[in-house]
Amino acid sequence: MKLLVFHIGADRYGLPLATIRQVLPLMALTAVPLAPDAVAGLMNLHGASVPVIDLARSGGAAPAARQVDTRIVLVDYPAPGGTVHALGLLAERVVGVQDVAEASLHASGVRAAPFLGPVAGDTHGLVQLVQPEHLLPADLRAALFPSNGAP
Amino acid sequence: MIKDLSIKNKLYAGFGAILAIILLLLILAYNNFARLSEANNWDRHTMQVLHAIDRVSLDLMALQSETRGYYLTGDPARLAKVRDQLTELPASVGALKKMVVDNPTQAERIQRLDGMIQNWIRTTLEPQVARRQELGKAPGAADTIGQMPQLAQGSPLIVGLNKVLDEARAEENALLTRRSEEAATQQRNMTTLLAAGGATCIALSMLIVYVLTRAIMTPLTNLTNVVGRIAAGDQGARADIVSRDELGNVSQEFNRMAQSIQDNQQRERASTDELRAKVDALLEVVSRAASGDLTGKVTITGNDAIGQLGQGLARMFDNLRLLLNNVQKAGIQVTTSATEIAASAKEQEATGVEQAQTSVEVLSTTKEIASNTSELLKTMEGATEVADYTTSATAEAQNNLRRMDQTMQNMVSATDSINAKLAALSEKASNINSVLTTITKVADQTNILSLNAAIEAEKAGEAGRGFSVVATEIRRLADQTSVSTWDIEQMLKEMQSAVSASVMGMDKFSEEIRRSVGEVRGVTDQLSGVMDQVQKLAPQFDLVLQGMQSQAVGAQQITETMMQLNDATQQTVESLKATSEAVHQLQYAASDLQTSVATFAVNV
Repeated sequence: MKLLVFHIGADRYGLPLATIRQVLPLMALTAVPLAPDAVAGLMNLHGASVPVIDLARSGGAAPAARQVDTRIVLVDYPAPGGTVHALGLLAERVVGVQDVAEASLHASGVRAAPFLGPVAGDTHGLVQLVQPEHLLPADLRAALFPSNGAP
Repeated sequence: MIKDLSIKNKLYAGFGAILAIILLLLILAYNNFARLSEANNWDRHTMQVLHAIDRVSLDLMALQSETRGYYLTGDPARLAKVRDQLTELPASVGALKKMVVDNPTQAERIQRLDGMIQNWIRTTLEPQVARRQELGKAPGAADTIGQMPQLAQGSPLIVGLNKVLDEARAEENALLTRRSEEAATQQRNMTTLLAAGGATCIALSMLIVYVLTRAIMTPLTNLTNVVGRIAAGDQGARADIVSRDELGNVSQEFNRMAQSIQDNQQRERASTDELRAKVDALLEVVSRAASGDLTGKVTITGNDAIGQLGQGLARMFDNLRLLLNNVQKAGIQVTTSATEIAASAKEQEATGVEQAQTSVEVLSTTKEIASNTSELLKTMEGATEVADYTTSATAEAQNNLRRMDQTMQNMVSATDSINAKLAALSEKASNINSVLTTITKVADQTNILSLNAAIEAEKAGEAGRGFSVVATEIRRLADQTSVSTWDIEQMLKEMQSAVSASVMGMDKFSEEIRRSVGEVRGVTDQLSGVMDQVQKLAPQFDLVLQGMQSQAVGAQQITETMMQLNDATQQTVESLKATSEAVHQLQYAASDLQTSVATFAVNV
């Protein structure tokens, strides 16, 4: 499978290309007051408002630096109710696409953040999969997509 | 009464009494001795009388014996002896008579004895002696004599004589006995007198010694005890005046002395107490000052040493309070000044870069110019030396100078031209920079585009595989473009900074050239006066020209060293930062000073 490789701190992480809708350049974000730390703000996508999550903050690191290779990755977020929302992910040092064999994927064996999937090893170290469907905790999901959170 | 006498009079009285007793004793003893001697004389006299009596008796016996020898023998030698005895006997009786004239009884008895002896001699002895002479050598003459009545008659006379002699002897013996008793009595009296007088004398002497000793020792002991008590610390001890002699005077004077000593000590103690109170007051103020409280007031005044000390301390405290007030004010001023200095240090830091840059460049250029100028000067000196020896070629030298001036002018214009070209280069570089920005943006967009293309190809599945390869290639190209663009950007930045540094260096250089031209003109003018005689300047001016050319080369090197000068500028900025830090420390120190001084209480 193919992964879009980015960094949190010094470590490499991969987003499956299948879940990505589009890669966008870094643009101005509208700040959301009183929002949780992980929310970087709102972006204007052709007139529609899409929430942007800072992956570095979600991973527990410092907020993502606004550099040349910092991108906003637009992914499809499948809510538990079945609806699919557009969600922006602020990723630091997006280096490109990497092809990873399915066989090389294996569980990390460590219970950590819920959105972390299996890891794959290569010549440069490990790449850890990020699963967008587990990215949002229930309260954050309810805060970002309130209509979906109602029963 | 004895207490009123002086010690001298006491001694005189005591020893006088002893002397009087001894004198009395001696008089009595002398009387007794006189009487005893008289009694002894009387004794001897009695013995002499007895002896005289015995002598008379012996003479009588010898006369009788001789007379009878003559009677028997009729020897005329014997008759002569009788005649001798007859003369001796009256002499003995006469001596006896002289001895007993003081005793009438004895004198009468001796007178009678003398008569009897005369009678015997006349009546008995003389007739018989005469008869015997008549008889001569007739036989039986002795018997005849024996038959004579005188012989018979003579015996009672002799017996009477002996009887009187015995009476006298008895009388004298009785006298002797009586006188011996009298002498013995006198002797006993003498012994008794001597014993009793000696005992009395000793007893009286002891009594006098006791009284004298007592009269002298009592005041002395009293005085010694009082001296001991005073020495042991009893200041109130006084001697009792028990007599009015010298010791009494001594005791009185001693009491006066002890009283004055006691008074002096009391006065001294009072002054010591007063001094201690003052010192305690001073000490309290000083102790409070030592613990930081300077509000204490010194109340001790006066003209003595402690008063002056108190006044001095009060002045010292006033000065100290004033000083601390000043120090506190100064601390505030120091803090304020330190803050101002810190602010100005910040400003200095801000302007430091510029100043440092300029100053370093000026320094570098000046050094180069200076070395060249010194070379020039040397050459000129050589020229001057040569000029001493020659007076020709003046015009040529002037022409050369003019040519040099012209060359310098050309150099100035060339420098201006270089500056203009450098400015154009800088502008071009700016244009390239904007183009590069565009290229960077395009490369970034291309990168994103390639990522999206890869995503779309992935979504297209098998059909998009080929496109995926193309997308990867595009992304690689975009990345290479980004890297190259960044490299170009860096190079361009370096070039721009180099160009701007060159421009500045060239400005400085042309300024220096202009100044050099001025200086050279000045030199030319100065030299013009002496150049009339200078003929051999041309080769030296060639050297000058070469120096100038090397100056041009040095100016080129100025441009090259501009990059290194930036480092020096950085160091200047850092030292300015260090200054700022030091000023901060000064601020801390000033606030420390204020805190320290604030611990002193100075307000009264």
